[in-house]
Amino acid sequence: MKRKIGRAFAYLVLIMLGLAGIAPIVYLGVLSTKKRIEILAQVPPTLDFKWARITKNYNEVLFSQGMLEFTVNSIIVVGATTVLVLVIATPAAYAFSRFRFRGNENLAFTILSMRFMPPVAIAIPLFLMMQWVGTHDSYLGLILPYIAFSLPLVVWIMIGFFDEIPQEIDDAAIMDGCTRFEVLWRVMLPMVRPGLVTASLFGAIFIWNEFLVALYVIDSREFQTIALGAATLVSAQRPIDWNIAAAVGVVTVVPILIFSLFVQRYIVRGLTAGAVK
Amino acid sequence: MTPASRERLGTKLGKLDRPGTVVWLLLAPTLLYLAAFAIFPLFYSLRLSFTDLTAAAGTGDWVGLRNYGDLLRDPHFWNATKNSAVMVSASLAIQVVLGVALAMFFNLQLRGAWLVRGILVLPMLITPIVVGVMWRALLNPDWGLINWCIAAVGLEPPNWFGSIEMAMPTLILVESWQWTPFVFIIVYARLQALPQEVFEAAIVDGAKPLATFRFVTLPLLMPAIIFAAVFRAVDSFRSFDLIFGLSYGGPARSTTTLSFFSFQNGFQWQNYGYAAAVSYMMLLILAVGTIVLLRFVQIRPGYAK
Repeated sequence: MKRKIGRAFAYLVLIMLGLAGIAPIVYLGVLSTKKRIEILAQVPPTLDFKWARITKNYNEVLFSQGMLEFTVNSIIVVGATTVLVLVIATPAAYAFSRFRFRGNENLAFTILSMRFMPPVAIAIPLFLMMQWVGTHDSYLGLILPYIAFSLPLVVWIMIGFFDEIPQEIDDAAIMDGCTRFEVLWRVMLPMVRPGLVTASLFGAIFIWNEFLVALYVIDSREFQTIALGAATLVSAQRPIDWNIAAAVGVVTVVPILIFSLFVQRYIVRGLTAGAVK
Repeated sequence: MTPASRERLGTKLGKLDRPGTVVWLLLAPTLLYLAAFAIFPLFYSLRLSFTDLTAAAGTGDWVGLRNYGDLLRDPHFWNATKNSAVMVSASLAIQVVLGVALAMFFNLQLRGAWLVRGILVLPMLITPIVVGVMWRALLNPDWGLINWCIAAVGLEPPNWFGSIEMAMPTLILVESWQWTPFVFIIVYARLQALPQEVFEAAIVDGAKPLATFRFVTLPLLMPAIIFAAVFRAVDSFRSFDLIFGLSYGGPARSTTTLSFFSFQNGFQWQNYGYAAAVSYMMLLILAVGTIVLLRFVQIRPGYAK
């Protein structure tokens, strides 16, 4: 009997936890379907949805406020950055995993410690650099700094994945006459595909959410990313229309949530990379 | 091509494939890139911190240590330092305790727990500015859902954002909602990887559940807990976008952390030199923290055993 009560209590806690996680997100979604006045008048908000109202709010956000355009910009920047980061970081991670050379540990640690650098410490210099080279206010002006931001993270995650592949596989391939580059390209890459997905996922989320560098580098609406757009629309600095702010939030977040649904099993892998061995 | 030159080319390629060469070829792109876009800006930032560069002035003049001197006399800087200390230590304590508790709870392997685990990952993925807006709505004094819930059970909801005393606890609450799952996921993964025999042996030896946790489970989880704690400490120290979305440092600078203070100086007031000096104080704190920390733990994939 006592055991049963304990069990029931445990399930109650489980349900509360689930609600604590999901309810705020759902609440934002519900607010985004309301009229401005309804948010103030209906407490708590009712769940009767009117299609006309929903389309009105989202039309406003996606088209009048330009969030659709910002989404496209973000996809371009995130996509280009992710591909370039993988190309640059994968060989380095392979080297850190396979070669014993002088300073290996220290160098790896230095790179990984850059993961901890406060963005406010380099945003201004990066912005000034982008002005010098003339990539200020363009996609490239974001992509170049963002590569530097996600490189350490991606190297970190990839080292963990390479470490899992036994050294014997490299040795066998080299015995068969492969050069190191061929080992990496033909043998290793297919084997670390989960690592590539995990690393891209985390790099991509980070860049999707970044807006400090974007605040400095981007002047024209044409190149605004989604996080920057959201930041300007819903900043805590000024009063806002809550239904529109909620819709902005939903539009910003939904692409990440959909994306992460597809690569769900890699999320935990990425979070724990390096932590659990 | 003559055989001789072919051989020379062969040895050249062969040289490229020697371990000593190959390793630097593999590392070069990453090292050069980071040198140009991370290390250089960092030094540039240091240089800026010795100038009075503003967005309007165009070129800054060398002012030596003046920014740092001003900084140490600036009550707002000390206020921000205090706020950072409070935010980092409180959110760290809350998130580590709750995260470990969650990991133990999920270790009961209840039915349907996988779904809740999936849900708890979501907050971490959400753009921090949106998290800020979301919670400003939830805690709205006039119509927010949480205030309504608190009032429904007959209590008086606190003045979440309105008062100087409550603003920082509110920020810590929201940051903990978003990031406690991080500690949980990492500790839980470690828990799953532990050999079950250890716990069985403890039970056979007649250890009480609490003693098992204190003397068997907790020490085994420690590496994962430390790893998660380091990440959380640094990330909440660095964070400014959540504050941007939630409280914009207010009211009356009660949620202005060092990170947000540096951001405000740089972006809002366009005082680049001063902002750089603030961020260098942050780096100094981080460096000291790292050195102290390294005496206790090693961080590197595969080395966090």
